[in-house]
Amino acid sequence: MVADQSAAQVPLLEGRGLTRIYRMGDTEVAALRGVDFRIDLGENVAIIGPSGSGKSTLLHILGLLDRQSAGQYLFAGVDTDTLDDDRLAVLRNRAIGFIFQSFNLVSGESALENVASPLVYAGVKRRERLDRAQESLVRVGLGDRLHHDPSQLSGGQRQRVAIARALVTRPALILADEPTGNLDSHSSAEVFALLEQLQDQGLTLVTITHDQRIANRAQRILRVEDGSLIDGNAGDSSYLDHAEQGVS
Amino acid sequence: MSYVEALRLALRRLRTNALRTGLTSLGVIIGVASLVALIGVGEGTQTALTKQIAGLGTNLLSVNAGGSLVGGIRGAAGSSSTLSLTDATAIAALPGVLAVAPEMAVPNVVIVSGRANTTTSMTGTTPAEQTVRAYEIQTGSFISDLAVAKGLRVAVLGPTTVTNLNLTPAEVVGSTVTIDGIPFTVIGVTQPKGGSGFSNPDDVVFTPISAVQSRFTGASSLRTVGVSVADPNNIAYVTSEIQATLRLRHALASTASDDFTMVSQNQLLSVASSTTATIRNFLIGIAAIALVVGGIGIANTMLVSVRERVREIGTRKAIGARRRDIGRQFLVEAVIVTLGGAVVGVLLGMAVTGPVGSAVSVPAVPTLGGIALAFGSALVVGIVAGYLPARQASRLDPVEALRYE
Repeated sequence: MVADQSAAQVPLLEGRGLTRIYRMGDTEVAALRGVDFRIDLGENVAIIGPSGSGKSTLLHILGLLDRQSAGQYLFAGVDTDTLDDDRLAVLRNRAIGFIFQSFNLVSGESALENVASPLVYAGVKRRERLDRAQESLVRVGLGDRLHHDPSQLSGGQRQRVAIARALVTRPALILADEPTGNLDSHSSAEVFALLEQLQDQGLTLVTITHDQRIANRAQRILRVEDGSLIDGNAGDSSYLDHAEQGVS
Repeated sequence: MSYVEALRLALRRLRTNALRTGLTSLGVIIGVASLVALIGVGEGTQTALTKQIAGLGTNLLSVNAGGSLVGGIRGAAGSSSTLSLTDATAIAALPGVLAVAPEMAVPNVVIVSGRANTTTSMTGTTPAEQTVRAYEIQTGSFISDLAVAKGLRVAVLGPTTVTNLNLTPAEVVGSTVTIDGIPFTVIGVTQPKGGSGFSNPDDVVFTPISAVQSRFTGASSLRTVGVSVADPNNIAYVTSEIQATLRLRHALASTASDDFTMVSQNQLLSVASSTTATIRNFLIGIAAIALVVGGIGIANTMLVSVRERVREIGTRKAIGARRRDIGRQFLVEAVIVTLGGAVVGVLLGMAVTGPVGSAVSVPAVPTLGGIALAFGSALVVGIVAGYLPARQASRLDPVEALRYE
């Protein structure tokens, strides 16, 4: 119980005054301007906002792929500034699963090999790797597509392979960047159902989305606009329409 | 990621791009094959030449009569008549000398057997000739001490000479031939030594030196004294001993130059060796250029491959690949392409070494050293060619890489 209490005290992700500035020649562009947030273990958070608002930048920092220019980002209570690139890579490997808009599967490798690839970097033995990858693919309903090349799969199936890959390391956090953005409505529903299922299983899920259904399901909505963050309620989706307009 | 994993990944990648892999490694295949073949030809040349020179004699030291100095004009080598049979006897008495063969040469004698005839050069000598010049007898026997003592008209022919007389060794032994009109009984035929051209060691006739002296030259001066040194490490010492002895015997003033010259087999060998080594190094250089060009091809393909796989690299970084994991993946891929090419190249090189050698009349065989060198060079080429692309891939920024279209 003591451990549970301390876990509750320390948020999984915490941002304090996060600022990210890009230099383009002589001009500086601020993608994030002093953002504060905290996301607890088991939360389901949707990040919305118009294109160019800085939400992708935020997701990259959350996913330890990028570093803030100023402010502090704590991952499970650890100040990420104290971690070198290799440590960040290890953390990404063990603690985070990524789901990308365009799936980012490696062609020429089977679904099973794609799903197993994070375990390669974790140093898991081949036999165990393939077992766990298979397990993960069964979990997303693709137990009969283990040896298919991504090019032989539909968009929805590809995204499910990518989700299986994100799940295979049993991460604390799933980061999804427009998971249904590249899918037709049928596939989108397929993926949506799967993400719902994951939410029910208590995974921490942070999703950038324009999809109203996903946003509606979220416990919390973080709205990014012009580099700033507005914490919103799940029920309040009045600005979703505004966000949709940002999609080009 | 361990090297085993990197290897597994590389093999999978290379298999899916089989055509590109094949074309990329072609440069290395050609480079390695030419290295193996040309080193084989180089070594073959060296071996053949060494064998030929070794066939000249056993630790041979050849003492030649020098040019005579008459009125300040030096005559041709051998024109001096100071080298004598007693010189040969004196050399034979020196320590470290195994055998001494005085040689009295009569160039261009006509040998007639029945209706056939041939022209060759005759050497009047002693039984020691067999040791000194490393002649083996295939039929009959060599000149005996008795034949030399009695000045018997007996002759030992070279196999080429026998062939030129349209006879077989079995037929010629025991028959009588005339040499410049004088009848000689053929008592033996030497084993072929190989070689050709200007001084073919198989186109010869040996007779007792006493017979040549009395029947042909009438003089006692020698053209050459062949000396066989007991210990090859002793050749320099024996050379200086012979020089001192001959100068003393010829009563040369300390300011006078030698009236004889000496050439050791080792000198011939080292001159020949350095010539063939130069040729061989030249050939290796050309093959090495081919291999380097092959390496550039691999580096180029790998750079293109990195560019094509930017998103894959970004994805791998996102799922936990460290810089060194990405670098290792590309480096191993380059090395595998190179080593694959090297294996095929070695096999190809081994297959073509013989044909290439026979095209230039050299008995060439692929050597272990050549194969090791070619393989080692290919490995170095692969690592160097893979390094730059691997570094480029490992340094990609994950955010940029994931955004790349």
